[in-house]
Amino acid sequence: MQPLAPEERNRAFTSTKKPEVIQRQRLGVRYHAEDFAVAERPRRFIEAFAAILKHTNYRLALDHYVRVSAKCSRCTVHCQVYAATKDERDIPCYRSELLLWVYRRHFTLAGILRARVLGEPGLSDERVQEMADAFYNCTACRRCYLQCPMGIDHGLLTHLGRYILSEIGIAPRALVVSTREQLTGASGNTSAIPVPALLDGLEFLSEEMQEEKGIEIPFPMDQEGAEYLFLPAVSDFIMEADTLMGNAAVFRATGDSWTIGTKYYDGINYGLFYSDHVLEHVLQKVQAEAQRLKVRKILIGECGHASRAAKYFYPTYCGGRDALPVVNFIEYTHRVWKEGRLKLAPEVITGRVTYHDPCNIARPGWIVEQPRELLKAFCGDYVEMTPNRRENICCGGGGGTVSIDEILSFRTLVGGRQKADQIRATGAKYCVAPCANCKKQLRELAEEHQIDCQIVGLHDLLYKAIVFQ
Amino acid sequence: MDAWIEFGRGPLFRLAFSLMVLGLLRVGLLSTVGIAEAYRRSPDRILAWPEMARQTLGWLVPVRRLWRTRPLYSATSFLFHAGLLAVPPFLAAHVLSWKRAVGLAWPPIPQRAADWLTVLTIAAGLGLFLGRLLDRRARALSRRQDYLWPLLLVVPFASGYMCSNAAIAPKTYQVLMLLHVYSGNLIMILIPFAKIAHCVLAPLSQLVTGVSWKFVPGAGDRVAATLGYAERPSWVEKSRLDAGPSARQGKGVWIR
Repeated sequence: MQPLAPEERNRAFTSTKKPEVIQRQRLGVRYHAEDFAVAERPRRFIEAFAAILKHTNYRLALDHYVRVSAKCSRCTVHCQVYAATKDERDIPCYRSELLLWVYRRHFTLAGILRARVLGEPGLSDERVQEMADAFYNCTACRRCYLQCPMGIDHGLLTHLGRYILSEIGIAPRALVVSTREQLTGASGNTSAIPVPALLDGLEFLSEEMQEEKGIEIPFPMDQEGAEYLFLPAVSDFIMEADTLMGNAAVFRATGDSWTIGTKYYDGINYGLFYSDHVLEHVLQKVQAEAQRLKVRKILIGECGHASRAAKYFYPTYCGGRDALPVVNFIEYTHRVWKEGRLKLAPEVITGRVTYHDPCNIARPGWIVEQPRELLKAFCGDYVEMTPNRRENICCGGGGGTVSIDEILSFRTLVGGRQKADQIRATGAKYCVAPCANCKKQLRELAEEHQIDCQIVGLHDLLYKAIVFQ
Repeated sequence: MDAWIEFGRGPLFRLAFSLMVLGLLRVGLLSTVGIAEAYRRSPDRILAWPEMARQTLGWLVPVRRLWRTRPLYSATSFLFHAGLLAVPPFLAAHVLSWKRAVGLAWPPIPQRAADWLTVLTIAAGLGLFLGRLLDRRARALSRRQDYLWPLLLVVPFASGYMCSNAAIAPKTYQVLMLLHVYSGNLIMILIPFAKIAHCVLAPLSQLVTGVSWKFVPGAGDRVAATLGYAERPSWVEKSRLDAGPSARQGKGVWIR
């Protein structure tokens, strides 16, 4: 990998915020924060931290991590951000220590006594600023977790750090504004797509497919009692028409019942990135729609974080073991193909194809082999990136950073630097990335690094290979 | 001086050893109870047990995964751990002491092997210290205890080795033995309070992390209420700035 040139470093880290905004927010971070009260930030941070510790399970991890952390620096080899910047502040363990320090200093007896005796100062505004910067440099891809002999999950600490910050108003405006529209807005989704526009768009896609395939491929709306409630990242409805057509075509081929609900049709859950509070309320919207339509399963489209948020947290907030099963679309397609209910024509795609593992579905080992088996079934020339599968490298836009336009240069020059090299090395014509966030980031990455590779979803290509009987 | 050595090997050792065992039991229990509590608080009981077991065992017996990145550092660290775990409890002289004191004995490791392992442990300990000192990345992370531990752990190894192998004057022997016994006791007393507690905590880490990702339903609402923002969650239309601190109705926050 080429080291970061001074000019690139400058571009990646320069704040695009207007001076008056920085003045008003008294916060020099590169992304725009929400306009919250700026007074007494350290005190409010500790109050928020205390409230969160009181009501959640985080104390366990903090207590444990404070004791075991050996500062061995193994995580340095697995962080794509540190690999690009070579800045010690980007070492996962260094970043986690920022939060562990606050915990030790303000919430453990030993830390409080030590501070009394030695006269150590408490949390300062500078430290809050440092955390605000650090936790949004991390893409929460959790790759470092695999390298930690002590089992410290730096992704969990990034998540907690962001949650505390968001409670005192330090959260990227891009995420908060989308969430606001989703939870309180008229459209009820992060992209503010109203129902008529949704219906229009889907009707147009159906017509398109009728023309191409010669058969009617519908998008069933509000079908009560359907087996699957389909929730893609809502942006797919405007940005990823090909993916949606592939999704619909798979259901047309299998004949299983599915539906899109007009009361709620957004899989996106930014809560996974910055707030447990948001995470829960968004999933409650999913549950309400599932109950209204009396569906039996939740089906998430090609989106990494939406899948992980639903798969791993829907049971938490919506019924434990009795919660509806959550399925990712790739899982579904793979299963019906294995069962012989979906026929794919071999070698339909002749150009070279490679696969990018979205962190949120690959890291837990959940969706790793299924997309590969599917791709090999209809692609003539399939190659792997290295490393891959569970040890994949993040696209550089993980953890919600892809939605923060202010840090585009940071994402393409720093976060995605290793990924760009990886994709280029494969010489692939298509890079399959079954995740709305990864796709957006990888396209911006390909443009910045001038890589001649088309970034597509899995179902975009699969659509071309489906054989209708 | 003999009396001091005897005190160190007798009553002080018994105290230090008990403190170590009790201290490690305490931290181990704290994490275990914490895991159980957290597990109970979340309705989601789905945990990736095989995966967690694989990760835990993979790090406990790191034959495969350690060498893939930073092989030199990994080999040094592995050797250091092997020496620390094998020599103190299985050295023939130590086993004999235990037998005399409590009547229990177990098979010791051959003296030659123990000698070699001791030399390698000392070298590895110094290597780890130098590595930490010279590596930019490690330096950025290191606290005082991170530099001191490898050195402190090497002291009883080096002094013990010289006592049993070098032809030294009786006076020097006494001094070294004193150093050996007292540094060993100091280490045992400190272990539960320092990062070395990972000897009992590390096997629990995967479970701690797994359970920590199990959130508590309603916690978000309760946090907002505690902070006095029950009606104004972080995503509300009007920012909390407009409301000002007077809009908060929450009581004082409890800090443990």
